[in-house]
Amino acid sequence: MEVFRHDIVIVGGGGAGLRAAIAAVEADPKASVALVSKVYPMRSHTVSAEGGAAGVAAPDDSLEMHFKDTVKGSDFLADQDCVDYFVEQAPKELTLLEHWGCPWSRDEEGRVAVRAFGGMTAKRTWFAADKVGFHMLHTLFQTSMRYDRIVRYDEQFVTKLLVDGGVVKGVAALDVREGTMRAILGRAVILATGGAGKCFPFTTNGTIKTGDGMALAYRAGIALKDMEFVQYHPTGLPGTGILITEASRGEGGHVINAQGERFLVTRDYGVGQKAELGPRDMISRAIMQEIAAGRGIKGPYGDYVHLDLRHLGEAKIMERLPFVRTLSKTYAGVDPVSEPIPIRPVVHYMMGGIDTNIDGATALPGLYAAGETACVSMNGANRLGSNSLTECLVFGARAGIRAIEFARGASVGSEAPLLAQAQEEATRIEDLRGRRKGGEKIAQIRREMQKTMEEGCGVYREQASMHESVRVMAQLRGRVSDLQLEDASKVFNTEILTALELANMVDVAEAIAVAAAARRESRGAHACSDYKARNDQEFLHHSLVTFTPGGPHLDRKPVTITRFQPEERKY
Amino acid sequence: MSRPVNPRAMAPARAGRTRTAAPSVPDRFWSAPRMRRYLLFDATGITYLLVGLSILRVVWALGSGPEAWQTVLRQFRSPAYLAFHALVLLSVVYVGVRFFGLFPKAQPPKIGPASPPPGPVLTAMLYAAWAGATLVLVLVLGGVLP
Amino acid sequence: MSDVQKKKFVVTRFDPDKDEVPKTQEYTIPVRPDWKVLDALNYIKDEVDGTISHRWSCRMAVCGSCGMLVNGEPKLTCSTPLDEYGDEVHVAPLSNFPVIRDLVVDLEGFLDKFKSVKPWIVRAKEKAVEEGPCRQTPEELHAFKQFSMCINCMLCYAACPVVANVPEFLGPAAIALGHRYNLDSRDEGAAERNEVFRGEGTVYECSYANECSEVCPKNVDPAAAINQAKLLAVLDWMKSFVTPRRGGE
Repeated sequence: MEVFRHDIVIVGGGGAGLRAAIAAVEADPKASVALVSKVYPMRSHTVSAEGGAAGVAAPDDSLEMHFKDTVKGSDFLADQDCVDYFVEQAPKELTLLEHWGCPWSRDEEGRVAVRAFGGMTAKRTWFAADKVGFHMLHTLFQTSMRYDRIVRYDEQFVTKLLVDGGVVKGVAALDVREGTMRAILGRAVILATGGAGKCFPFTTNGTIKTGDGMALAYRAGIALKDMEFVQYHPTGLPGTGILITEASRGEGGHVINAQGERFLVTRDYGVGQKAELGPRDMISRAIMQEIAAGRGIKGPYGDYVHLDLRHLGEAKIMERLPFVRTLSKTYAGVDPVSEPIPIRPVVHYMMGGIDTNIDGATALPGLYAAGETACVSMNGANRLGSNSLTECLVFGARAGIRAIEFARGASVGSEAPLLAQAQEEATRIEDLRGRRKGGEKIAQIRREMQKTMEEGCGVYREQASMHESVRVMAQLRGRVSDLQLEDASKVFNTEILTALELANMVDVAEAIAVAAAARRESRGAHACSDYKARNDQEFLHHSLVTFTPGGPHLDRKPVTITRFQPEERKY
Repeated sequence: MSRPVNPRAMAPARAGRTRTAAPSVPDRFWSAPRMRRYLLFDATGITYLLVGLSILRVVWALGSGPEAWQTVLRQFRSPAYLAFHALVLLSVVYVGVRFFGLFPKAQPPKIGPASPPPGPVLTAMLYAAWAGATLVLVLVLGGVLP
Repeated sequence: MSDVQKKKFVVTRFDPDKDEVPKTQEYTIPVRPDWKVLDALNYIKDEVDGTISHRWSCRMAVCGSCGMLVNGEPKLTCSTPLDEYGDEVHVAPLSNFPVIRDLVVDLEGFLDKFKSVKPWIVRAKEKAVEEGPCRQTPEELHAFKQFSMCINCMLCYAACPVVANVPEFLGPAAIALGHRYNLDSRDEGAAERNEVFRGEGTVYECSYANECSEVCPKNVDPAAAINQAKLLAVLDWMKSFVTPRRGGE
């Protein structure tokens, strides 16, 4: 088996992974960093983020306002020390990106422009038209090429964390092109693999978002935190789930029902004066209620409502939202200049993730996590739009620096046990390749998982259906070990990848369902029809799901509240 | 199905660890409309070569006495030569129009301290220059200008 | 279900462990009218033949993974409507690239070229974070913005007749990216990049066929970038005689 040795190993080449890599090599002039990604970094899903990245910039804004907006948006489940650190670092990180060439949109004087976003009380979202994730990712990727000490392992799929003596010391990875396993060793590992939207059938996420990092940590005994909080973005295209950015509302777009009524203004959905600029959880619920009340529009992929941009005019749409226009034309057949865009809520983001502290450190020494795959936690029960791109930078950088510091003081020790684990992993993968004897089809299990998750863990959730999801997921976890595969070839075998990703998703989906069923209250994105109110007495805590051979184990962890005491969340 | 191109096209500096199939292009790539346009553009080169040869022939005839010169003039009035010259004119117009279309966007936003004029203005200038040169040529050939 | 439309897909297959050269395989499948070409490939992969390999992810034309030849034309398959084609659709890997497997091409050669143009901000002295963001007017942003829109989907390389014949040629996307940084008001690295542009596989290999710009799904117009770079690189060379470079080489 091939063995590669570095100081730290970063898994994931998106916003958080690339930022961590750059931070690590800048913090330690001798550091050697492995950047392992299952796709070429520029394919990472950060690329699809559209609207912007939040950081205080305007004179009428303040760190305190950003802090309060974020905590309130989180329905008081965010750890306030993390939020404080986040809002303070955010402008610095976005400035760094500016120095690295990110083409931020500008005002007439050449200053970075900011736009309005949902749940934010001031304009503080930095943007590059409506392709912010794309520009951030490419800026980071291109900048990372300056450093020869960042050694990329592209199209390598990590299947296991190598742990010895209670410390993580590397990863076992499948080289997709060659079809062989290798061990990539390092004295610290950062997981930055993004979200798990593909656990659901209808999502803005790309097909690569299969919760790999969460599953890796989960199987290594690390708890997943706050997994029940799944963000539904209010405006996805029906059918494909393609994202229509919140910036279209930030720039003044209206959400209207079949009668052309701006229901967020005319009816009481709790968003008050904010109307279309309310937080995502509330707007998604409002849309679902409109549809349930029969005020939606019928379509081949279910009922939907409209996002109306016509009053913005062609010039503004072309300047601020050109991608929205292209996407609408290509994937919905409508030109937003002259027609409203069909939209409905769609799975977008996991507030939950690998349980880490403010440094991105997990309970396993040497293991760090950052970005969507982590839960540090600053998003609580509902993330505000445009906080997550900045989160990738702020906590990616911090994890990179902390990981390299940890690595400096650690030693790899004996490699033999690590290589033995990697060898064991190679055998497991080899058994899976072209596994004829199984009885289950990948696509079938994936369909069942996605359908169950939509029914049990949707915008509105019922106790009965959540428990049903828990039951089905436990069953699917068994069935996923009996897959039948057709492709026995070595080179670029994508079927084996799909099988491994499916196993990851089933684990993550089970954690989501278990955590959801246990939270008998409604908070943020978790809207439980049987317990409609928030219950701070019993549930003002993080939930932790830990893997055990007998099934998921539930636990809780206190929320850090420093100065903003929970109050009713009203806008 | 496909035909090979340079076997080293897009090859990495360090060869990959698995065998690859050689780079190729589709067999009938020339049937794509945009490729056909480009090939037509390239093919106009043949007409210029032929024009060059016929000019050589004229010069040769000039040096070979009045009889040879008259023969060339007679031949140039033949339908075949007229058709050829019509083809040459078409080629020149095609290349000119294509080039004038592509020229403006090849100008950087700034050349030193100066900004080139906007695209439509550049195009208009090119056509104006073309028309001007043609006019001068017609006047000279028509004996109006010395 | 007799009104379900069916289409035949002729897909190029290649497994280096089994096939000497690529071959084709046919699949006839039911299709939906609103499908893109990629949806059909995914249907084949999921329901008909799990051994087929292709790259894809975002299915919204921004990650750049799913470039292939559709009926001989370089296309992003996730944004190419199926109803533009007849009953038979040919899907093949991108032309001009070595093929790893089925529809998957080798991108390493591109990344070599990509890195060689120094696609990052070069400054004599790096600005400190505390100094805040640089000023850049909308005009200065506009000067390079278009050339920063490349998603590295490789369609331009597949379309370029020079790439097919001159392996050293840096090619459309890489040159456009280098040019993008040269035009950025925050950058001071034009001299270094122009040297690259005048070196092996130079911008002057480009015969301005304009094919790259014809197939570009993001309107980057790499042909414009290359031909602008030609002029700027030669002006820079002429300037170097008049004003010797700082620090020397």
